[in-house]
Amino acid sequence: MKEGVVVKEGLRQSMSWVHTWAGLLVCWLLLLVFMAGTAAYYRHEITFWMKPELHKAADAPSKIASADAAVLAVRGLQQRAPAASGWFIDLPSERNPLITASWTNPPKKGMSREERRNAFRQQNFVLDPMTGLDTAAPRDTRGGEFLYRLHFDLYYMSAIWGRWIVGIAAMFMLVAIVSGVITHKRIFKDFFTFRPRKGQRSWLDAHNASAVLALPFHLMITYTGLVTLMFMYMPSPTKALYGEDQNTMFADVFMNVDRTRPARVAAPLADIAPMLQQAERAWGEAPTRVVVSHPNDANAKVELFRPSGRQLSNIEPSMTFNGASGALVSSTGPISTTLSARAALYGLHVAHFADPLLRALFFICGLAGCAMVATGALLWGVKERQKYAKIVAQGGKVGFGVRLVDALNIGAIAGLPVAFAVYFWSNRLLPLELVERSNAEANCFFAAWAGCAILAQIRPTRGMWRFQLTLGALLLGALPLLNALTTHSHLGVTLFGGPGLRPVAGFDLVTLALGLLLGWAAWWLGRKGKKQALAKPAAPAAAANPPAPLEAA
Amino acid sequence: MNMLILSGVALAFSGFAAKGVVMDRHYADIHGRGKEPDSAVRLRMRLIGWLALGLSFIACIGASGWHLGPVLWCGVLSIAAWSVTLLLQYAPRKVLLGAWIGVPAALLAAGLLLFA
Repeated sequence: MKEGVVVKEGLRQSMSWVHTWAGLLVCWLLLLVFMAGTAAYYRHEITFWMKPELHKAADAPSKIASADAAVLAVRGLQQRAPAASGWFIDLPSERNPLITASWTNPPKKGMSREERRNAFRQQNFVLDPMTGLDTAAPRDTRGGEFLYRLHFDLYYMSAIWGRWIVGIAAMFMLVAIVSGVITHKRIFKDFFTFRPRKGQRSWLDAHNASAVLALPFHLMITYTGLVTLMFMYMPSPTKALYGEDQNTMFADVFMNVDRTRPARVAAPLADIAPMLQQAERAWGEAPTRVVVSHPNDANAKVELFRPSGRQLSNIEPSMTFNGASGALVSSTGPISTTLSARAALYGLHVAHFADPLLRALFFICGLAGCAMVATGALLWGVKERQKYAKIVAQGGKVGFGVRLVDALNIGAIAGLPVAFAVYFWSNRLLPLELVERSNAEANCFFAAWAGCAILAQIRPTRGMWRFQLTLGALLLGALPLLNALTTHSHLGVTLFGGPGLRPVAGFDLVTLALGLLLGWAAWWLGRKGKKQALAKPAAPAAAANPPAPLEAA
Repeated sequence: MNMLILSGVALAFSGFAAKGVVMDRHYADIHGRGKEPDSAVRLRMRLIGWLALGLSFIACIGASGWHLGPVLWCGVLSIAAWSVTLLLQYAPRKVLLGAWIGVPAALLAAGLLLFA
């Protein structure tokens, strides 16, 4: 009996050690990943907010049938890129009020992947579904796509490196979650417990509440995040089977990878409208995405995709037509169990299926994840600082480790919201004709973050916490005002107008709410500071060495 | 559909509330320091709590199907649990009152599932 107890305590303690260090090592990067990922649930809405030139066209109530919209898009593509190797068309739907089309050109020899990707960014246009004409040219921005890529590719490095770094952080996260559950002695007894104004206790309660009460989400998002890139993290099985020829593997496993080659015989593309009507009859809802491979070739192929929203899978049901004759070739049959399991896990992570309510729940759980990482990082400092309580009381200084963690915490927890806000501000304030404008926006994000992180390293004090939190609050909270001053789609219009502009209103309101939250945090810190100063008037040492930034809550 | 989700949220809230109010710390917060629920009450409330959580699961499945329903339920559980946590701290007596919302919610969910 007694031995069992001893072993149990030992396990708890060692798990506590694992939890602390697995968490601390990667927490600042995880915070970036969590924040960018949470924002990425609304990446289309963010992109739309960041392209105000499109707002006017989106505001018109659109009643165009998707077949007519597809015909408009095909006409535009025939004019611009008749010899493209692929056309991609997104038709107006619930989350996308406009017709967007893009194309890829046949690969030229000697073009690097990066060059191809950059060229692809230029090869697109947006049509107003009401008039069929081009919308005003949107500004050069990557919008929410930047945040989405930041979430797993990072920036200023090759995507492969970014994915490895994020993947390792995610593995640490998984370890931290599991060890955290094991080490949490009173997980059921403290299930609903939150005790404010109790210093370390309160931080621990907040950490537990944000972690335990959304545990299914945290576990799911970390695990499925690893699954999305599993072929990269665990290459051995596919290497053994396919050797260096990984593309064949992808083509075998995901039948959606196109393997047809152009016949190099010209053949006009068949009328696309009947295909869309046929798909709509079969599914009971109109397709939202059209992919044409090798248009105007005898081997042309048209794929229509059903809107997601009925199942978890990220592989949407599709119908394939012969592009030259217009005849139905196939519709996606059942995919293998393994593939559908992966598609469901992948789908869970990216949540394309989510309706507005479910999406909001994912967003809130993502914010809880941010809170979990942030409170965990703060807890380390709060606990470690107690070891220095006596030294600080005698006018000494805290150790290097505590100071470093404090500074990193300020730079990440208070600095990252500033960086996000600056990214959105730069979208509106940078001159429109700037060369490489979308890169300049990203540079603004990182410049702001670097500034915050460096300031925090120079002076990791309570005053710095308040300064950066206040800055973030002002920048985020004033975004609706900035939007009102720089566009015609301010809250007065977007709240009471048609459904097309609702994403803009949503963006404005959510940033306002987040700004208020940061402002509240700054105000709360200031009040705490005053109270502590009043409570210890006889301790001049405390004034000379500003007390721990977030110690006694 | 939305009414079904709403009743799912209400049921999850009631379920957690029922389990929360008989936990030692929260029971003492509500009824005074040192008071403890007797074991029959505790058992009954716990059973009611699990029942309400189960009904909330059924409501979510009814609203969104077997694919998305469980995902929805997880989100609903988190929201309900955070609400109960905050209420137990800042207005513990309101939890006793609020827990009753599960009864009309259960009737509504049953009605919608059986007759609609």
